[in-house]
Amino acid sequence: MADEARKKEIFEKLRNGVIQYDEDACREGAQEAMAEGLDANEAIFDGLVSGMEEVGRLFEAQEYFVPEILMCADALYAGLDILKPHCKQMDLGVKGSVVIGTVEGDVHDIGKNLVKMMFDVAGFTVYDLGRDVPLDKFVDEQLKTDSELVCLSAMMTTSMVGMPKVIEKIKAKNPDCMIMIGGAPTSKELADRWGADGYAEDASNALKEAIKMVAFLKKLRDEKIQKK
Amino acid sequence: MNADPLKQFLQAEGATLVGVGDVTKALSREIIHLGRGVAIAVNRSLTRDTVDLLVRLQALTEGWLKAKGYRSLSIPPDSDRKMGKMISKLYKLFCHKTAATCAGLGWIGKNGLIINERYGSKMTWATVLTDAPLATDRPYVSSQCGDCDLCVRHCPSGAVQGHLWSLGNPMREIVSYDKCRSLKSGRTSLKEKPNCGFCVTVCPYSRNGKKNSN
Ligand code: B12
Ligand code: SF4
Ligand code: SF4
Repeated sequence: MADEARKKEIFEKLRNGVIQYDEDACREGAQEAMAEGLDANEAIFDGLVSGMEEVGRLFEAQEYFVPEILMCADALYAGLDILKPHCKQMDLGVKGSVVIGTVEGDVHDIGKNLVKMMFDVAGFTVYDLGRDVPLDKFVDEQLKTDSELVCLSAMMTTSMVGMPKVIEKIKAKNPDCMIMIGGAPTSKELADRWGADGYAEDASNALKEAIKMVAFLKKLRDEKIQKK
Repeated sequence: MNADPLKQFLQAEGATLVGVGDVTKALSREIIHLGRGVAIAVNRSLTRDTVDLLVRLQALTEGWLKAKGYRSLSIPPDSDRKMGKMISKLYKLFCHKTAATCAGLGWIGKNGLIINERYGSKMTWATVLTDAPLATDRPYVSSQCGDCDLCVRHCPSGAVQGHLWSLGNPMREIVSYDKCRSLKSGRTSLKEKPNCGFCVTVCPYSRNGKKNSN
């Protein structure tokens, strides 16, 4: 098992690999992390994702432009491909099924993919609709799969306005389904205002929230059955 | 900014031709800041080794530019086959022919390919886009094919129309790619090969470097 200093060094390598869009460094860092028995989830979030956060800042400071961002995302995925199969399957007692996607007009799916990964790891059944998903598709897919949860992601102030529409439609057709939203421009306040049942600021909290919600739903359903 | 040191460096590393073009007019919004195209060609056919060589030359170019504080984006030689990556979505926004003509390394022949005076169209191309204000070469603005129509006459599928290219009218269809492709699909033995290529081999520029139409 690697000591703290070595662990930091490997995470730093993953982080810098993303920032400097160096796919080889990300692959190497990921392999080292696995060879030295580090936790894959930690390597993803404290290494790769923390790098992507810095990339976001560089983009805002206009140091990076679109080509750099895309290359950084490729580097992130290069590391992720190696780490993902090693993510420990967690048994958190609750499993559910979830429909997830990035809303219409928005192609940002890096964050959504990380949230999806957490669900995979926790043994949830995930119906991934991808990105730039027409709003009605969420409604249809929920009905078709009878999923307990629908997760909406948006990274732009212009696309997130589609969220309340989806929420309204789903609630009208299926009030027992729970909806969680996320992505940088969204917030707990917006979730409340739009009638969503949950919000999370990052992928691990998204899973925690989801588990609470599914557990709550199950309880609700059991009570209903008992009353009958 | 003088581009000669870069050109000499790349030629020493195996490039046959290197030129710099002002490509601003051909750029879409995502890459509009990368106004210079460094066109790099080697006089070899498109094989794995050729691609490796060009990719190495591109990496050297990127390194050279980065050391001077500039951004760059490499459009790989086999950009049409590189799918599935995020960055590959940008590749289709830029075409090697644009860089080559803007950099004065060739015009677009009646056969629809880059024709270099010395090597004809028997070359493989790669481009590095950059925001470095490199001195530009004089672009080709019109076809130099003249009256020659060898590729028109020899094309078995009738794909080569005989139009003269000009920079002012880049969208005109010079070669009917559907016809060219239809021939390819009929020839099972050539299935994995890139088409019959008569339009390359008959071209006097490709044959011996001099034009001697007859
Ligand atoms: C990468 C990126 C891109 C990439 C996207 C690649 C891809 N496949 O995702 C590309 C280059 C394609 C792109 C394009 C554009 N982008 Co952009 N992009 C970014 C950037 C730099 C990083 C986003 C990112 O991936 N972050 C990393 C991930 C890990 O974080 P995350 O997405 O926030 O996800 C976490 C949480 O939010 C949460 N989460 C995410 N989804 C969900 C869902 C649920 C249910 C839950 C619970 C939680 C949750 O968990 C995740 C993991 O912890 C941001 C800048 C920034 N700082 O955010 C701009 C940004 C999002 N882009 C922006 C813009 C404007 C654009 C473009 C219009 C081009 C332009 N002019 O810049 C286009 C729009 C394309 C479109 N129609 O969608 C703006 C949006 C502005 C706004 N307020 O509307 C931003 C904020 C940049 C800026 N400051 O202007 N972009
Ligand atoms: S490859 Fe053959 S069929 Fe296609 S344009 Fe050239 S000569 Fe014609
Ligand atoms: S064969 Fe003649 S017309 Fe055709 S590209 Fe070559 S020079 Fe031009």
